Amino acid sequence: MRWLFASLLLALLGAVQAISYTGGRLLVVLEEQSEREKYTAFFGDLESRGFHLTVESPKSESLSLFKHGARAYDHLLLLPAKSKGLGPALTANLLLDFMRSEGNILLALSSDHATPTAVQSLLLEVDIQIPSDKGALVVDHFNYDEKSAADKHDVLLLPFPQGLKTGVKNYFAGEGVIAVPKAVGQVLGNDSPLLAPVLRAPSTAYSYNPKDEADIVEEPFAVGGQLNLVSSLQAHNSARLTVLGSAEILQNAWFAEKATIKGKAVTTANRDFAAKVSEWTFKETGVLKVGKLVHYPDEGVSKKLNSSLAIPENNPKIYRIKSDVNFQVEVSEYSLTHLTPYKPAFGDHVQLEFSMLSPFQRLNLAPISQTANSTIFGVSFKTPDQHGIFNFRINYQRPFLTNVDEKRQVTVRHFAHDEWPRSWQISGAWVWIGGIWVTVAGWVAFVALWLWSKPAEGSLKKTQ
Amino acid sequence: MRLLHSFTSSLLLAGAWTINAASSWSFEDATLTVQGKGAGVGAGAKEKLNPASSLPKSVTLGATDSLKLLLTTTDGKKAKRPHQAFLTLTDPTTGLEESFVLNVKESGKGKVDLTHKDLPVQFLTTSKPVPASIVIGSFGSSAPYKSKVFDLNIARDANVPLAIPEPPTRYAAEKEIHHIFRTDPKSPPKIITIVFAAGVIAALPVLLGVWATLGANVSHLSKALGNAPISHALFFGSVLAMEGIFFLYYTSWNLFQTLPAASVVGTVAFLSGSRALSEVQERRLAGQR
Repeated sequence: MRWLFASLLLALLGAVQAISYTGGRLLVVLEEQSEREKYTAFFGDLESRGFHLTVESPKSESLSLFKHGARAYDHLLLLPAKSKGLGPALTANLLLDFMRSEGNILLALSSDHATPTAVQSLLLEVDIQIPSDKGALVVDHFNYDEKSAADKHDVLLLPFPQGLKTGVKNYFAGEGVIAVPKAVGQVLGNDSPLLAPVLRAPSTAYSYNPKDEADIVEEPFAVGGQLNLVSSLQAHNSARLTVLGSAEILQNAWFAEKATIKGKAVTTANRDFAAKVSEWTFKETGVLKVGKLVHYPDEGVSKKLNSSLAIPENNPKIYRIKSDVNFQVEVSEYSLTHLTPYKPAFGDHVQLEFSMLSPFQRLNLAPISQTANSTIFGVSFKTPDQHGIFNFRINYQRPFLTNVDEKRQVTVRHFAHDEWPRSWQISGAWVWIGGIWVTVAGWVAFVALWLWSKPAEGSLKKTQ
Repeated sequence: MRLLHSFTSSLLLAGAWTINAASSWSFEDATLTVQGKGAGVGAGAKEKLNPASSLPKSVTLGATDSLKLLLTTTDGKKAKRPHQAFLTLTDPTTGLEESFVLNVKESGKGKVDLTHKDLPVQFLTTSKPVPASIVIGSFGSSAPYKSKVFDLNIARDANVPLAIPEPPTRYAAEKEIHHIFRTDPKSPPKIITIVFAAGVIAALPVLLGVWATLGANVSHLSKALGNAPISHALFFGSVLAMEGIFFLYYTSWNLFQTLPAASVVGTVAFLSGSRALSEVQERRLAGQR
C-alpha cells in the first residue's frame, strides 16, 4: 500500500513541477524597480517556462531567503545594485546557507557598479576571483562590436561556447554570436573541481581598468582564455552558482541587437544564451536521477530490470567470492520538462565501483536498454577473491551534471566447506586417495588372516 | 643603436602625415636575442623578426638562457604606443596560453625578457616547439595585429629535476580497475600422478603376495564358522560395514548420518568381536594356532 501512495505522490509532484527539477520559486533581487524595464524579455521568458518570480529590492524589510528555517525560494537571481552593500538579508553567509540548502544562484555582475561586499566575499569563498578595483572590464581589440563600441572595444562578440573538453556535455551550445558588454572578468581557482568555465574570453582579450591613467596595460588582471566571462560552480550538494560577468547580457537591449564584427553585420543571440545559462543554473538541464540499482548472481539467465517503482529492488544480501554477478542501474536526465534517457558524452562512462574501502573493481557501464525516460546501464563481473563487506557504488561526478553517489552494501563470503572441488577432482590427490584405500583393503585382509589363518607347517616346526 | 633611433625618428616624421583611420598595427625593427648566462652583451644568437612571416627555424631557449625581444610598435607607418602589446605562447597540444606583456615606451619601443623562471611548468615539459605570437592592439579603429613570429624550442637540462605540481582534481571517468585474482592452486602433470598412484596401488598385491609366500591362508574359516558362525560373520561384517560407512562419509554423508551408523556398527563389532575372539583363543589354547 505504501508504494502506491509514494508513486501517487511522485506523480502528483511531477505534475506540479513541470518546470525546474527542484521548484519554480524564483527571487529576483533588483535595487531600482525602474531597472525592471530593462529585463522584461528575460523575465517574460522565465515566467513562460513556469517560474514564479518575486522581485524584491535588497533594501526591502520583508526580504528573507528563509522562512521558518527552510528555503523561501528555490532560486535566486542577483542583479547588480548601485549600493555597496546588499543589506542584512543577503549577507555572504546567508547566500552560502541558501546554497547549502540546495538553492541555486544566478549572479550578474556589472562593471558600472561596484560589486557589493557580500558578493565579493561569496566569490572569495568559492575561489572565484574578480578584479578588486571598481570599473575593471574586459576588452578585446579583435572581437568587438564595431557598431556600439567602435572606440572602446568593450562589447565583445563571441560564438557560443564549445564543450569544456571531451567527455563533458555542453549545455550552452547554440547558433549565432553572444554580445558581452562591459564584462567583469573572473579567474577560477585551479584546485577546485567544482568550478567550471561556461564562457571563456578569447585569447586576445584582457581585463583592465579604464580609470587607470596609464595608456598601456602593464599588469592586466588576467589575459586570454584564463579570463572567464561566465563561470559556474556546482557544490557537492549540486547547488549551482553561475556568475555572469555582465548583467547586460540579460537585458532587452542586447537580446537581438544588430551588431558588426570585422565588417560583418550580425544579430546577437543573447536571448538564447540567457535561456541556456538560466536553464542550467535553475536545474532545468543537467539534472541526473538514479532509478533502481539491481544486482543478482549470474546463473546464465539475464533478467530484465523492471523500472517500475512498485517492485522493490530485491537484491541479494550476500555473494560468494569469485562468483559471477550482474549489475544494472537506471539513470535519467531531466531535460526542461521531463526525464529523458541519460546518454553520457562521448568519451565519458558511468562507472561501477565494487569496493571495500578502495575499489576492487571499477568498470565502465554499457547502456543495455532504454525505457521512455531512462537508460539502463549494466555490466557483469566476478566478485574478487577477498571476503568482506563490499559496496556496489555509482559515484558519478561530472562538470555541469548533478552529483550521483549511490551504493548498495553486500557481504562477500568465503567458499563454504562443501563448495570446494572434491578431492578426487584434484589429480594431485590421487596418490593419497589410493594410499588410503590400499590401507583399508590391507587392513580388511589382515583382519581376515588374523581370524582365520591356519599356521603354516614349516613355520610351526621352526618354532617348535 | 643611434642609427636605429634616427631611423625610427625619420620614420616618425615620414609617417606624420598619414591619416590615422583604417591603418593597422604592426611592428618593426624587431630583434630576438637568446643569451646564455655569463656571456657578454651581444654575445648571444640574434634574429631579425618579420611581422609578415614567422622565422623558418625555431629558437632554442636553454635552462640558463634569457630571451630578449626588442621591437618598435607601429600604427600604419608611424611608431606609436599601443594599449595592448603581448608576446603570447601557446601550447600546441593542450592549447594553454600564456601572455607576456611588452614594456612599451611612449616612442613605441617595446621589450620583454623571458627566462625559464617566467614560464609555467606545462611549457617546460612539452617536447614540441611552442609557437610564439605577437599581439598588438589598441582602442580606436586601427586593425590589431596578431601573428606567429617564431617557434620557441624550450630545452631543459635533463639532470635538473623539475618540481611538477600534482595535477588538480577534475571530475572525469577514472581508469578502469580489473581485480587481479590470485592464481588457482595447480596439480602436477597427470602422468606423474598416475605413475605414483599406480605404485601405491601395486603395494597391495605385493603385500598379499608376501603374506602368501609366508604361508598365509584362510583354512580355519570353516572351523571358525562352525564353532561360532554368528559372531564371526557379524564381526567381519561389521569391520567391512565400518569401512563402508567411511566411504559413504567421504562421498556423500555428513557427520550426523555417519555417527549413529558408526555407533551401531561399533556396538555390533564390540559384542560380536568378544565372542569371535574367544573362539580364536579357544583354537590357540587347543594348539591350533
